[in-house]
Amino acid sequence: MTGTVSPPKAPAPLPSGSRLPDIPGPLETLRIAWRRLRRMATALQLLFALAAASVVATVIPQEPVTAQSVEQWRSGVTGPGAGVARVLDELGLFDVFGSWWFAALTVGLVVSLTGCLLPRWRAFVRVARRPPAAGRNLERLSASTVLSCPLEPEQALRAAERVLGRRRFRRRRVGSQVAAERGHWREGGSLVFHTAFYLLLLGAVIGKVFGFAGSISLAEGGAFADTRIAYDAAQPGREFDLGDHRGFVARLDDFDVSYFPDFTPRDFRSTVTISEDGQRVRTADIRVNHPLRYRGMTLYQIGFGMAPHVVVRAGDQVLLDERVLLAPGGGSNLWAGTAKVKVRDPDSQIALDLALATDARLGDDGQPVLGPDPRPRNPVLVSSLYFGDLGLERPVPAADFDRGDGPVETAMLRPGKTAKLAQGSLTVEFRDLGYWSGLQVTHAPGRSILLAGAALLLVGLIPSLYSYRRRIWVEATPDGAGSRVTVAGVALQRKATFTDEFDAVVSALRDAVGSRPPPRPEAGSQPYSQPEPAPSPERSP
Amino acid sequence: MPNESLAQLSNTLFSVALITYIAAMVGYFFRLGFTRFTSQGVVAGTAAGRRVGLLATGVAVAGWLVHLASVTTRGVAAGRVPWANMYEYSSILALGAVAVGLVVVQRRLGYGHLVGFVLAAAVLSMTSGLLLFTEAGPVVPALNSYWIKIHTSAMMTASSVVIVGFVATALSLVKDTAERRVAARSGESYVGSTVGAAQVGAAAPAGAAPDDRTEGRPDGYEADAGVDIGAGDGEWASPLAQREALSPVLFPLVPAVAVTVFVLAVWRAPGAAIVAGSVAALLGTAAWYAVPFLPPAAKLDNLAYRTIAFGFPIWTFAIMAGAIWAEEAWGRYWGWDPKETGSFFTWVLYASYLHARSTHGWRGRRAAWVAVVAFVALLVTYYVVNLWIVGLHSYAGDI
Ligand code: HEM
Repeated sequence: MTGTVSPPKAPAPLPSGSRLPDIPGPLETLRIAWRRLRRMATALQLLFALAAASVVATVIPQEPVTAQSVEQWRSGVTGPGAGVARVLDELGLFDVFGSWWFAALTVGLVVSLTGCLLPRWRAFVRVARRPPAAGRNLERLSASTVLSCPLEPEQALRAAERVLGRRRFRRRRVGSQVAAERGHWREGGSLVFHTAFYLLLLGAVIGKVFGFAGSISLAEGGAFADTRIAYDAAQPGREFDLGDHRGFVARLDDFDVSYFPDFTPRDFRSTVTISEDGQRVRTADIRVNHPLRYRGMTLYQIGFGMAPHVVVRAGDQVLLDERVLLAPGGGSNLWAGTAKVKVRDPDSQIALDLALATDARLGDDGQPVLGPDPRPRNPVLVSSLYFGDLGLERPVPAADFDRGDGPVETAMLRPGKTAKLAQGSLTVEFRDLGYWSGLQVTHAPGRSILLAGAALLLVGLIPSLYSYRRRIWVEATPDGAGSRVTVAGVALQRKATFTDEFDAVVSALRDAVGSRPPPRPEAGSQPYSQPEPAPSPERSP
Repeated sequence: MPNESLAQLSNTLFSVALITYIAAMVGYFFRLGFTRFTSQGVVAGTAAGRRVGLLATGVAVAGWLVHLASVTTRGVAAGRVPWANMYEYSSILALGAVAVGLVVVQRRLGYGHLVGFVLAAAVLSMTSGLLLFTEAGPVVPALNSYWIKIHTSAMMTASSVVIVGFVATALSLVKDTAERRVAARSGESYVGSTVGAAQVGAAAPAGAAPDDRTEGRPDGYEADAGVDIGAGDGEWASPLAQREALSPVLFPLVPAVAVTVFVLAVWRAPGAAIVAGSVAALLGTAAWYAVPFLPPAAKLDNLAYRTIAFGFPIWTFAIMAGAIWAEEAWGRYWGWDPKETGSFFTWVLYASYLHARSTHGWRGRRAAWVAVVAFVALLVTYYVVNLWIVGLHSYAGDI
């Protein structure tokens, strides 16, 4: 359609004697650019560029998805080397979908789409409103057949209207003809399909600007309030302000994980109580694929780990009394983490490296033997004590402290047990074992717009691919006592399918008007090999 | 709960189906071979060819039933839908492709000659499944959602359909090359590519509707009644000339090298690479041999368009279902994870193909090449992204 837009006309010749080069003026340039954008070939090139961008994003690690791999590429540990990585960084190839050139590409597509759609919509509305036109030279159309009918012309035409109406053709009486057409949804569907992209874009932008995503890890019994500072990590949209947080409090009452007999996880379940202003509002389970939606915020289950309750004392002074969150430490039965016990006074800082095995029986020699069971049936906590200038005050993750010469002492603890470390000056108690749960809290406005866009996209796509435009004319002229009925038709697409449909219409009409079957249906089933004569079917530009 | 003996039965049935498909494929290629030319330039199946063809169809249907049983028992054994890992995907893709081949290509459209190639694609897919074998087992909780069932089943349906589309595209390019060369040799003035002739061919008047590309079912083209060689309106050039116009060396060589490199790159298994490469070489030879018997390029091109146009909305829906599921499981509907990016990329390329078919200067062979690239993108998304590239889909560590 846009492929048929005539090429831009050459600018008018300049007056003779002028030495100015043949440069179009600004207005003319704009017009040429607009015409170019409207061309199908431009859309195709933009689509190829989009595809190329996503190849790049599949092959090169992307910062928002796999930040670690990107770091490794940058430092040259993996990938093509640090030099190449610098160039990639310059080009924004580590974040293709956040890069300026991808934004430019999107703008190009939107502009092209608009340039394409506006004229198409205009033409579609015009064409769809226009009633079916009368046909000329019906007998010369390749799908054409003549019936002789015992009814009067008026009755024959009424029968034709009924037959075509049953097949959901739009009909109009023009003189001695019924003109009928069908299949506007081909173009209409295509327009709906392409227009739906604006909704998708709008929904995505709304989600990005007004949305929020934050993650938080809670030990059993722990709680957090929905405020910006409570989150371990937060990605607020530009227009999601501090005041937009709901302020409710969510408490993790319980976390539970169940396994299949081969120890692959079956389900994770966080039981969470939500309260507002000290009042309990709701208690619900959050499971994978079953988030909790509350006041426009959605809480998802995204991670979990073991959280031993550890108490460290120096004499009577309690230095640490909390559930320490342990991360996977290799395999589903090992967990590891770090507790900063005493940070002040750089010379006498204290830290614990904690390692937990969920399935550690004692062997015959008194040494623990690790089993594969991820359930904490037989846990043992190994805590290694570090003392001195550990650099704990630096703003780095707890696990990155300065381990120097290694641990001062190591103790192996069962739940409920206490060990004395450093000649009895410190005690470490492993009080009990619980879980922590990783939750993600998301505010995603624009979801319904996206969903509507997606639905329209599909609804438009199907007729744009499968439906087809066709017209059928039935003309009745008096012929003795009855009438002579000419049926003719033409299809713009799917001509072979139309041949079948036309035959079906003719035979239905024949039944309806009580016509004798002709000796041999010569026309009507001919293949569409030769060009069709008039009427020239109008096309959308 | 995984049920050992049922899982074992499923594996056995899988092997039986694979062997049956190979036998049926050979039968279909025999059927191609047992065709002969009549003086009007029409190929007709010889009696032997027809009998072998009928037998091959029966064997293929039987193999499909066995395959279906294998997939079903697998699901029962694992106590879940039987599409949760790449072995199972590969198996179901083959199941879908064979179904499309038998029902749509052979029964509805009457292109029985082509089913051998569809079976070959199914055999390759199942072989790759064997390389990715996984014991029947439960799935991680994130995959345990009805949205993923909808998402993956739609993805697999679309992929099976598009596999058939690819077979048709590849054959149409082959046939088109042959037709062009023969025309060039016989000194005829050749009016552009016959691929997409629905739009470009000399028959189309200057003012014909530009979106005429949906030329309907290949009328008058019957399975065994004989194949129009495409010389109907011109003088009759020997169909064997089409074969002679193509290189008998390049035809086995190119697919063999491509498949060997692919298998080596993805699995690094030299043994499997050699086997797969030999199968590809055989297929290339079969394609070369079959060239005169293939339907005209324009009809193959039309078949390709129709299958892809059928698969595209399903693919679109599958991506949407995946986004809805990702929203429920991970808290974001779209994160440009490599797998998501890959399927988006494939989708854009198939949309480009549909656009190219109605773009001046692109329809014809160039559009067909876009479809080939789109299919390669699908393979990359499916194998390379799944096996090589780390993303959310490699779920280890946390949930
Ligand atoms: C944003 C990405 C786009 C996608 C995914 C897309 C997808 C599609 C699809 C699937 C079709 C149906 C093809 C058919 O009927 O065979 C189509 C048709 C069409 N597209 Fe797009 N499109 C996109 C952008 C554009 C743009 C930017 C333009 C304008 C320049 C455009 C112009 C058209 C036209 C004119 C048709 C109708 C072709 C015809 O029916 O002959 N599309 N598009």
